[in-house]
Amino acid sequence: MSEAADFLYPFLEADEHDAAALLDDLEQSAEAKAHASAALRATTLHESRAAIDEAAADMSDRFNRGGRLLAFGNGGSATDASSIAALFTHPPHGYALAARALADDPSVLTALGNDVGFDLVFSRQVIAHGRAGDIALGYSTSGNSRNLLAAFAEAAGRGLLTIGLAGYDGGDMARSEHVQHCLVVRSDSVHRIQEVQAALGYALWATIQDELTSAIQHG
Amino acid sequence: MANPADRSLAVDPGVAGELARSALATARRFAAGATMWCLAPAWLEHARHVAVEFVHPVIVGKRALPAVAVDDPDPITALRALARTGDVLVAVSDRDSRPVIDAMRRAPAWGLTSLWIGAGPRPPTGVADHLLWLDQGEGSARHDGALVLMYHVLWELTHVCFEHPGLLTASASANEPCVDEVACITCSDEGRPAEVVSAPIADVAAVRSARGLETVDTTLVGDVVAGDLVLVHAGTAIAVLEETRP
Repeated sequence: MSEAADFLYPFLEADEHDAAALLDDLEQSAEAKAHASAALRATTLHESRAAIDEAAADMSDRFNRGGRLLAFGNGGSATDASSIAALFTHPPHGYALAARALADDPSVLTALGNDVGFDLVFSRQVIAHGRAGDIALGYSTSGNSRNLLAAFAEAAGRGLLTIGLAGYDGGDMARSEHVQHCLVVRSDSVHRIQEVQAALGYALWATIQDELTSAIQHG
Repeated sequence: MANPADRSLAVDPGVAGELARSALATARRFAAGATMWCLAPAWLEHARHVAVEFVHPVIVGKRALPAVAVDDPDPITALRALARTGDVLVAVSDRDSRPVIDAMRRAPAWGLTSLWIGAGPRPPTGVADHLLWLDQGEGSARHDGALVLMYHVLWELTHVCFEHPGLLTASASANEPCVDEVACITCSDEGRPAEVVSAPIADVAAVRSARGLETVDTTLVGDVVAGDLVLVHAGTAIAVLEETRP
Protein backbone atom coordinates (compact mmCIF):
# COMPACT_ATOMS: atom_id res chain seq x y z
CA MET A 1 0.00 0.00 0.00
CA SER A 2 1.42 3.38 -0.90
CA GLU A 3 2.07 5.88 1.87
CA ALA A 4 0.06 8.46 -0.05
CA ALA A 5 -3.05 6.37 0.56
CA ASP A 6 -2.40 5.75 4.27
CA PHE A 7 -4.86 8.43 5.35
CA LEU A 8 -7.65 6.39 3.76
CA TYR A 9 -6.95 3.53 6.14
CA PRO A 10 -7.12 4.76 9.73
CA PHE A 11 -6.65 1.22 11.08
CA LEU A 12 -3.44 0.70 9.19
CA GLU A 13 -1.58 0.48 12.49
CA ALA A 14 -3.44 -2.75 13.14
CA ASP A 15 -0.83 -4.16 10.75
CA GLU A 16 2.04 -3.15 13.04
CA HIS A 17 4.09 -6.04 14.34
CA ASP A 18 7.30 -4.49 15.67
CA ALA A 19 6.92 -2.95 19.11
CA ALA A 20 10.48 -1.55 19.24
CA ALA A 21 9.58 1.78 17.60
CA LEU A 22 6.59 2.24 19.87
CA LEU A 23 8.68 1.45 22.97
CA ASP A 24 11.24 4.05 21.91
CA ASP A 25 8.48 6.64 21.50
CA LEU A 26 6.96 5.74 24.86
CA GLU A 27 10.31 6.03 26.62
CA GLN A 28 10.96 9.47 25.15
CA SER A 29 7.44 10.51 26.08
CA ALA A 30 7.94 9.33 29.69
CA GLU A 31 11.14 11.35 29.97
CA ALA A 32 9.47 14.44 28.48
CA LYS A 33 6.53 14.19 30.88
CA ALA A 34 8.84 13.76 33.87
CA HIS A 35 10.86 16.80 32.85
CA ALA A 36 7.70 18.86 32.27
CA SER A 37 6.49 17.90 35.74
CA ALA A 38 9.85 18.81 37.30
CA ALA A 39 9.96 22.15 35.50
CA LEU A 40 6.39 23.03 36.51
CA ARG A 41 7.15 22.04 40.07
CA ALA A 42 10.28 24.18 40.25
CA THR A 43 8.52 27.21 38.74
CA THR A 44 5.44 26.83 40.94
CA LEU A 45 7.39 26.36 44.19
CA HIS A 46 9.57 29.35 43.33
CA GLU A 47 6.72 31.68 42.35
CA SER A 48 4.51 30.52 45.26
CA ARG A 49 7.20 30.81 47.94
CA ALA A 50 5.69 33.88 49.63
CA ALA A 51 2.15 32.48 49.39
CA ILE A 52 3.29 29.14 50.85
CA ASP A 53 4.98 30.91 53.75
CA GLU A 54 1.91 33.05 54.47
CA ALA A 55 -0.49 30.10 54.35
CA ALA A 56 1.84 27.96 56.46
CA ALA A 57 2.15 30.71 59.08
CA ASP A 58 -1.64 30.95 59.36
CA MET A 59 -1.94 27.15 59.51
CA SER A 60 0.77 26.91 62.19
CA ASP A 61 -1.10 29.51 64.23
CA ARG A 62 -4.28 27.38 64.01
CA PHE A 63 -2.46 24.16 64.88
CA ASN A 64 -0.79 25.87 67.85
CA ARG A 65 -4.22 26.72 69.21
CA GLY A 66 -5.48 23.14 68.81
CA GLY A 67 -7.03 23.51 65.37
CA ARG A 68 -7.56 20.50 63.11
CA LEU A 69 -7.15 20.21 59.35
CA LEU A 70 -10.09 19.05 57.20
CA ALA A 71 -8.90 18.16 53.66
CA PHE A 72 -11.14 17.46 50.68
CA GLY A 73 -11.30 17.05 46.91
CA ASN A 74 -12.92 14.89 44.21
CA GLY A 75 -11.47 11.85 42.41
CA GLY A 76 -7.68 11.98 42.26
CA SER A 77 -7.87 15.17 44.31
CA ALA A 78 -9.70 13.21 47.03
CA THR A 79 -6.63 10.98 47.21
CA ASP A 80 -4.43 14.09 47.40
CA ALA A 81 -6.51 15.16 50.40
CA SER A 82 -6.02 11.71 51.96
CA SER A 83 -2.30 11.96 51.29
CA ILE A 84 -1.84 15.30 53.05
CA ALA A 85 -4.01 14.19 55.99
CA ALA A 86 -1.76 11.13 56.39
CA LEU A 87 1.34 13.33 56.09
CA PHE A 88 0.18 15.48 59.03
CA THR A 89 -0.95 12.57 61.24
CA HIS A 90 1.92 10.18 60.32
CA PRO A 91 4.81 12.55 59.58
CA PRO A 92 8.10 10.97 58.42
CA HIS A 93 9.73 13.29 60.98
CA GLY A 94 8.66 16.15 63.23
CA TYR A 95 5.33 16.65 64.98
CA ALA A 96 2.09 14.73 64.37
CA LEU A 97 -0.85 17.11 63.80
CA ALA A 98 -4.60 16.51 63.60
CA ALA A 99 -5.85 16.14 60.03
CA ARG A 100 -8.62 14.18 58.30
CA ALA A 101 -9.79 13.71 54.72
CA LEU A 102 -13.53 14.17 54.15
CA ALA A 103 -13.85 11.77 51.19
CA ASP A 104 -12.45 8.74 52.99
CA ASP A 105 -15.73 7.38 54.33
CA PRO A 106 -18.06 6.11 51.59
CA SER A 107 -20.97 5.76 54.02
CA VAL A 108 -20.88 9.47 54.84
CA LEU A 109 -20.29 10.46 51.19
CA THR A 110 -23.14 8.35 49.83
CA ALA A 111 -25.52 9.37 52.62
CA LEU A 112 -24.93 13.05 51.90
CA GLY A 113 -24.81 12.61 48.12
CA ASN A 114 -28.08 10.70 48.14
CA ASP A 115 -29.97 12.85 50.63
CA VAL A 116 -28.80 16.43 50.06
CA GLY A 117 -26.88 16.26 46.77
CA PHE A 118 -23.27 15.94 45.77
CA ASP A 119 -22.66 19.69 45.82
CA LEU A 120 -23.04 19.58 49.60
CA VAL A 121 -21.02 16.45 50.51
CA PHE A 122 -18.17 18.51 51.95
CA SER A 123 -20.03 21.56 53.29
CA ARG A 124 -22.35 19.36 55.38
CA GLN A 125 -19.28 17.72 56.90
CA VAL A 126 -17.80 21.16 57.61
CA ILE A 127 -21.03 21.95 59.49
CA ALA A 128 -20.70 18.70 61.47
CA HIS A 129 -16.95 18.80 62.21
CA GLY A 130 -15.66 22.33 61.65
CA ARG A 131 -14.92 24.62 64.59
CA ALA A 132 -13.63 28.15 64.56
CA GLY A 133 -9.85 27.74 64.54
CA ASP A 134 -9.85 24.67 62.29
CA ILE A 135 -8.45 24.63 58.75
CA ALA A 136 -10.33 23.76 55.53
CA LEU A 137 -7.96 22.69 52.72
CA GLY A 138 -9.42 21.82 49.30
CA TYR A 139 -7.83 20.44 46.12
CA SER A 140 -9.37 21.05 42.69
CA THR A 141 -7.48 20.96 39.40
CA SER A 142 -10.05 23.22 37.69
CA GLY A 143 -10.62 25.46 40.69
CA ASN A 144 -14.33 25.25 39.87
CA SER A 145 -15.66 22.23 41.81
CA ARG A 146 -19.00 23.31 43.23
CA ASN A 147 -18.81 21.11 46.29
CA LEU A 148 -15.46 22.70 47.19
CA LEU A 149 -16.78 26.23 46.73
CA ALA A 150 -19.76 25.39 48.94
CA ALA A 151 -17.45 23.92 51.59
CA PHE A 152 -15.19 26.99 51.53
CA ALA A 153 -18.18 29.32 51.95
CA GLU A 154 -19.45 27.28 54.90
CA ALA A 155 -15.97 27.08 56.45
CA ALA A 156 -15.26 30.81 56.11
CA GLY A 157 -18.61 31.61 57.72
CA ARG A 158 -17.72 29.43 60.68
CA GLY A 159 -14.28 30.94 61.30
CA LEU A 160 -12.16 28.24 59.71
CA LEU A 161 -8.97 29.17 57.88
CA THR A 162 -9.57 28.38 54.19
CA ILE A 163 -6.85 27.23 51.79
CA GLY A 164 -7.40 26.22 48.17
CA LEU A 165 -5.10 24.44 45.73
CA ALA A 166 -6.18 24.98 42.13
CA GLY A 167 -4.87 24.58 38.59
CA TYR A 168 -5.27 26.32 35.21
CA ASP A 169 -5.86 30.01 36.09
CA GLY A 170 -7.21 29.22 39.56
CA GLY A 171 -10.83 29.22 38.42
CA ASP A 172 -13.61 30.29 40.78
CA MET A 173 -11.50 29.36 43.81
CA ALA A 174 -8.96 32.08 42.98
CA ARG A 175 -11.79 34.63 42.75
CA SER A 176 -13.76 33.45 45.80
CA GLU A 177 -13.86 35.77 48.79
CA HIS A 178 -14.20 32.63 50.92
CA VAL A 179 -10.75 31.23 49.99
CA GLN A 180 -8.17 33.11 52.05
CA HIS A 181 -5.08 31.50 50.49
CA CYS A 182 -5.32 30.13 46.95
CA LEU A 183 -2.21 28.41 45.55
CA VAL A 184 -2.43 27.95 41.79
CA VAL A 185 -0.46 25.52 39.59
CA ARG A 186 -0.51 27.30 36.24
CA SER A 187 -0.83 24.46 33.76
CA ASP A 188 -3.57 22.99 31.61
CA SER A 189 -2.62 19.35 32.20
CA VAL A 190 -4.66 17.73 34.98
CA HIS A 191 -1.88 15.20 35.56
CA ARG A 192 0.93 17.75 35.88
CA ILE A 193 -1.31 19.97 38.06
CA GLN A 194 -1.98 17.11 40.50
CA GLU A 195 1.69 16.16 40.71
CA VAL A 196 2.67 19.72 41.56
CA GLN A 197 -0.28 20.24 43.94
CA ALA A 198 1.11 17.30 45.91
CA ALA A 199 4.48 19.07 45.99
CA LEU A 200 2.78 22.27 47.19
CA GLY A 201 1.04 20.33 49.96
CA TYR A 202 4.35 18.80 50.96
CA ALA A 203 5.97 22.25 51.00
CA LEU A 204 3.16 23.56 53.24
CA TRP A 205 3.69 20.65 55.63
CA ALA A 206 7.51 21.07 55.67
CA THR A 207 7.21 24.82 56.31
CA ILE A 208 4.76 24.24 59.17
CA GLN A 209 7.12 21.66 60.70
CA ASP A 210 9.99 24.18 60.50
CA GLU A 211 7.87 26.84 62.20
CA LEU A 212 6.75 24.50 64.99
CA THR A 213 10.34 23.34 65.56
CA SER A 214 11.56 26.91 65.70
CA ALA A 215 8.72 28.01 68.01
CA ILE A 216 9.45 25.17 70.45
CA GLN A 217 13.22 25.73 70.41
CA HIS A 218 12.85 29.44 71.08
CA GLY A 219 9.99 29.14 73.57
CA MET B 1 16.52 24.55 55.78
CA ALA B 2 16.43 22.99 52.33
CA ASN B 3 12.97 21.84 51.38
CA PRO B 4 13.04 18.17 50.33
CA ALA B 5 10.24 18.95 47.86
CA ASP B 6 12.66 21.13 45.89
CA ARG B 7 14.61 18.18 44.53
CA SER B 8 14.20 17.30 40.88
CA LEU B 9 11.20 15.17 39.99
CA ALA B 10 12.67 13.88 36.73
CA VAL B 11 12.65 10.11 36.67
CA ASP B 12 15.77 8.12 37.44
CA PRO B 13 17.78 6.58 34.58
CA GLY B 14 16.11 3.40 33.40
CA VAL B 15 12.67 4.23 34.79
CA ALA B 16 11.42 5.76 31.54
CA GLY B 17 12.24 2.57 29.62
CA GLU B 18 10.57 0.42 32.26
CA LEU B 19 7.50 2.69 32.17
CA ALA B 20 7.35 2.14 28.40
CA ARG B 21 7.50 -1.66 28.75
CA SER B 22 5.00 -1.60 31.64
CA ALA B 23 2.52 0.44 29.62
CA LEU B 24 2.69 -1.92 26.63
CA ALA B 25 2.29 -4.97 28.88
CA THR B 26 -0.65 -3.31 30.69
CA ALA B 27 -2.36 -2.29 27.44
CA ARG B 28 -1.99 -5.83 26.07
CA ARG B 29 -3.57 -7.28 29.19
CA PHE B 30 -6.45 -4.77 29.12
CA ALA B 31 -6.98 -5.51 25.43
CA ALA B 32 -7.34 -9.19 26.35
CA GLY B 33 -9.94 -8.40 29.04
CA ALA B 34 -7.87 -7.90 32.18
CA THR B 35 -8.87 -6.21 35.40
CA MET B 36 -6.19 -4.14 37.16
CA TRP B 37 -5.93 -4.74 40.92
CA CYS B 38 -4.33 -1.86 42.83
CA LEU B 39 -2.66 -2.68 46.13
CA ALA B 40 -1.12 -0.17 48.56
CA PRO B 41 -1.80 -1.55 52.04
CA ALA B 42 -0.05 1.25 53.95
CA TRP B 43 -0.65 3.99 51.39
CA LEU B 44 -4.27 3.38 50.43
CA GLU B 45 -4.60 6.78 48.75
CA HIS B 46 -2.27 5.60 46.00
CA ALA B 47 -4.28 2.43 45.31
CA ARG B 48 -7.40 4.58 45.01
CA HIS B 49 -5.66 7.14 42.80
CA VAL B 50 -4.43 4.48 40.37
CA ALA B 51 -7.90 2.95 40.22
CA VAL B 52 -9.77 6.22 39.64
CA GLU B 53 -7.22 7.22 37.00
CA PHE B 54 -8.03 4.17 34.85
CA VAL B 55 -11.77 3.93 35.62
CA HIS B 56 -12.57 7.61 35.06
CA PRO B 57 -10.07 9.18 32.65
CA VAL B 58 -9.58 12.92 33.01
CA ILE B 59 -9.16 13.23 29.24
CA VAL B 60 -12.53 13.07 27.49
CA GLY B 61 -12.73 10.28 24.93
CA LYS B 62 -10.24 7.92 26.58
CA ARG B 63 -11.78 4.58 27.39
CA ALA B 64 -12.77 3.64 30.93
CA LEU B 65 -10.83 0.60 32.07
CA PRO B 66 -11.54 -1.82 34.92
CA ALA B 67 -9.21 -0.99 37.81
CA VAL B 68 -9.97 -1.64 41.47
CA ALA B 69 -8.35 -0.44 44.71
CA VAL B 70 -8.01 -3.44 47.02
CA ASP B 71 -8.62 -2.04 50.51
CA ASP B 72 -9.41 -5.34 52.22
CA PRO B 73 -7.60 -5.77 55.56
CA ASP B 74 -6.50 -9.20 54.27
CA PRO B 75 -5.55 -8.32 50.69
CA ILE B 76 -4.00 -11.71 49.88
CA THR B 77 -7.24 -13.56 50.65
CA ALA B 78 -9.18 -10.94 48.70
CA LEU B 79 -6.87 -11.07 45.67
CA ARG B 80 -6.82 -14.88 45.68
CA ALA B 81 -10.61 -14.82 45.28
CA LEU B 82 -10.84 -11.85 42.92
CA ALA B 83 -7.89 -12.00 40.54
CA ARG B 84 -7.95 -14.18 37.43
CA THR B 85 -5.27 -15.35 35.05
CA GLY B 86 -4.39 -12.50 32.71
CA ASP B 87 -5.16 -9.73 35.20
CA VAL B 88 -2.72 -7.01 36.25
CA LEU B 89 -1.47 -6.32 39.78
CA VAL B 90 -0.14 -2.82 40.53
CA ALA B 91 1.36 -2.29 43.98
CA VAL B 92 2.53 1.01 45.47
CA SER B 93 4.62 0.63 48.61
CA ASP B 94 8.10 0.60 50.04
CA ARG B 95 10.08 -2.62 49.66
CA ASP B 96 9.25 -3.87 53.17
CA SER B 97 5.46 -4.18 52.79
CA ARG B 98 4.73 -7.81 53.73
CA PRO B 99 1.36 -8.01 51.93
CA VAL B 100 2.91 -6.59 48.75
CA ILE B 101 5.88 -8.98 48.90
CA ASP B 102 3.45 -11.86 49.41
CA ALA B 103 1.20 -10.75 46.53
CA MET B 104 4.21 -10.31 44.21
CA ARG B 105 5.44 -13.83 44.97
CA ARG B 106 2.01 -15.33 44.29
CA ALA B 107 1.35 -13.31 41.13
CA PRO B 108 3.03 -15.81 38.76
CA ALA B 109 0.98 -18.69 40.20
CA TRP B 110 -2.20 -16.64 39.84
CA GLY B 111 -1.26 -15.71 36.25
CA LEU B 112 -0.95 -11.98 36.99
CA THR B 113 1.33 -9.44 35.36
CA SER B 114 2.86 -7.54 38.27
CA LEU B 115 4.02 -3.91 38.52
CA TRP B 116 5.56 -2.53 41.71
CA ILE B 117 5.90 1.24 42.15
CA GLY B 118 7.93 2.61 45.04
CA ALA B 119 10.89 4.65 46.28
CA GLY B 120 13.95 4.19 48.46
CA PRO B 121 15.89 0.95 48.88
CA ARG B 122 14.98 -1.47 46.07
CA PRO B 123 13.23 -4.83 46.37
CA PRO B 124 15.18 -7.86 45.12
CA THR B 125 15.52 -8.12 41.34
CA GLY B 126 12.87 -10.25 39.66
CA VAL B 127 10.22 -10.11 42.40
CA ALA B 128 7.90 -8.15 40.08
CA ASP B 129 7.53 -8.33 36.29
CA HIS B 130 8.04 -4.57 36.18
CA LEU B 131 9.77 -2.54 38.89
CA LEU B 132 9.06 1.21 38.65
CA TRP B 133 11.38 2.44 41.34
CA LEU B 134 12.77 5.80 42.44
CA ASP B 135 16.07 5.57 44.27
CA GLN B 136 15.58 9.00 45.84
CA GLY B 137 12.88 10.37 48.10
CA GLU B 138 12.21 7.45 50.44
CA GLY B 139 10.69 9.76 53.07
CA SER B 140 8.88 12.20 50.79
CA ALA B 141 7.86 10.30 47.62
CA ARG B 142 4.61 9.07 49.16
CA HIS B 143 3.39 12.64 49.56
CA ASP B 144 5.24 15.00 47.21
CA GLY B 145 3.92 13.80 43.85
CA ALA B 146 6.88 11.61 42.84
CA LEU B 147 4.86 8.35 42.92
CA VAL B 148 1.79 10.05 41.44
CA LEU B 149 3.95 11.01 38.45
CA MET B 150 4.89 7.36 37.95
CA TYR B 151 1.34 6.07 37.64
CA HIS B 152 0.10 9.14 35.79
CA VAL B 153 2.71 8.46 33.09
CA LEU B 154 1.81 4.75 33.15
CA TRP B 155 -1.81 5.72 32.44
CA GLU B 156 -0.82 8.18 29.70
CA LEU B 157 1.47 5.69 27.94
CA THR B 158 -1.04 2.84 28.26
CA HIS B 159 -3.55 4.91 26.32
CA VAL B 160 -0.93 5.70 23.66
CA CYS B 161 -0.58 1.93 23.21
CA PHE B 162 -4.31 1.65 22.43
CA GLU B 163 -3.60 3.69 19.30
CA HIS B 164 -1.49 0.74 18.09
CA PRO B 165 -3.96 -2.18 18.10
CA GLY B 166 -1.69 -4.34 15.95
CA LEU B 167 0.84 -4.43 18.79
CA LEU B 168 -1.69 -5.46 21.43
CA THR B 169 -2.66 -8.88 20.08
CA ALA B 170 -1.51 -12.19 21.53
CA SER B 171 0.45 -12.92 18.35
CA ALA B 172 2.33 -9.60 18.70
CA SER B 173 3.45 -10.46 22.23
CA ALA B 174 4.31 -14.03 21.19
CA ASN B 175 6.80 -12.67 18.63
CA GLU B 176 8.90 -11.19 21.40
CA PRO B 177 11.37 -13.03 23.58
CA CYS B 178 10.00 -14.48 26.79
CA VAL B 179 11.66 -12.78 29.75
CA ASP B 180 9.99 -14.75 32.53
CA GLU B 181 11.64 -18.13 32.58
CA VAL B 182 9.40 -19.75 35.17
CA ALA B 183 5.92 -18.29 34.54
CA CYS B 184 5.55 -17.79 30.82
CA ILE B 185 2.80 -19.99 29.45
CA THR B 186 4.30 -19.85 25.97
CA CYS B 187 7.49 -21.44 27.24
CA SER B 188 8.11 -25.07 28.01
CA ASP B 189 6.76 -26.74 31.10
CA GLU B 190 9.92 -26.19 33.16
CA GLY B 191 8.99 -25.45 36.77
CA ARG B 192 5.77 -23.49 36.48
CA PRO B 193 4.78 -21.83 39.81
CA ALA B 194 1.52 -22.89 41.39
CA GLU B 195 -0.27 -22.33 44.69
CA VAL B 196 -1.56 -25.28 46.67
CA VAL B 197 -5.36 -25.09 46.96
CA SER B 198 -5.87 -28.06 49.26
CA ALA B 199 -3.52 -30.35 51.16
CA PRO B 200 -2.69 -33.60 49.36
CA ILE B 201 -4.75 -36.74 49.78
CA ALA B 202 -2.83 -39.89 48.85
CA ASP B 203 -0.02 -37.71 47.42
CA VAL B 204 -2.29 -35.80 45.03
CA ALA B 205 -3.08 -32.12 45.59
CA ALA B 206 -5.11 -29.48 43.80
CA VAL B 207 -3.00 -26.47 42.81
CA ARG B 208 -3.72 -23.22 41.03
CA SER B 209 -1.36 -22.10 38.30
CA ALA B 210 -1.53 -19.54 35.51
CA ARG B 211 -3.26 -22.31 33.49
CA GLY B 212 -6.00 -22.75 36.11
CA LEU B 213 -6.75 -25.55 38.52
CA GLU B 214 -4.61 -28.67 38.17
CA THR B 215 -3.99 -31.80 40.17
CA VAL B 216 -0.37 -32.69 40.80
CA ASP B 217 1.56 -35.50 42.39
CA THR B 218 3.16 -34.35 45.66
CA THR B 219 5.34 -37.38 46.41
CA LEU B 220 8.51 -35.31 45.96
CA VAL B 221 7.47 -32.40 48.18
CA GLY B 222 5.66 -34.19 51.03
CA ASP B 223 3.26 -32.39 53.34
CA VAL B 224 2.39 -29.17 51.55
CA VAL B 225 -0.55 -27.12 52.82
CA ALA B 226 -3.02 -24.73 51.23
CA GLY B 227 -1.27 -21.49 50.30
CA ASP B 228 2.16 -23.04 49.72
CA LEU B 229 3.82 -22.15 46.45
CA VAL B 230 5.31 -25.05 44.52
CA LEU B 231 7.03 -25.57 41.19
CA VAL B 232 5.15 -27.93 38.89
CA HIS B 233 6.77 -29.99 36.14
CA ALA B 234 5.00 -32.64 34.10
CA GLY B 235 2.16 -33.06 36.57
CA THR B 236 4.47 -33.28 39.58
CA ALA B 237 5.23 -30.74 42.30
CA ILE B 238 9.03 -30.80 42.24
CA ALA B 239 9.87 -28.14 44.86
CA VAL B 240 8.32 -25.92 47.53
CA LEU B 241 9.17 -22.22 47.41
CA GLU B 242 10.03 -21.94 51.09
CA GLU B 243 10.21 -18.16 51.32
CA THR B 244 6.43 -17.89 51.05
CA ARG B 245 5.91 -19.75 54.33
CA PRO B 246 5.26 -17.31 57.17
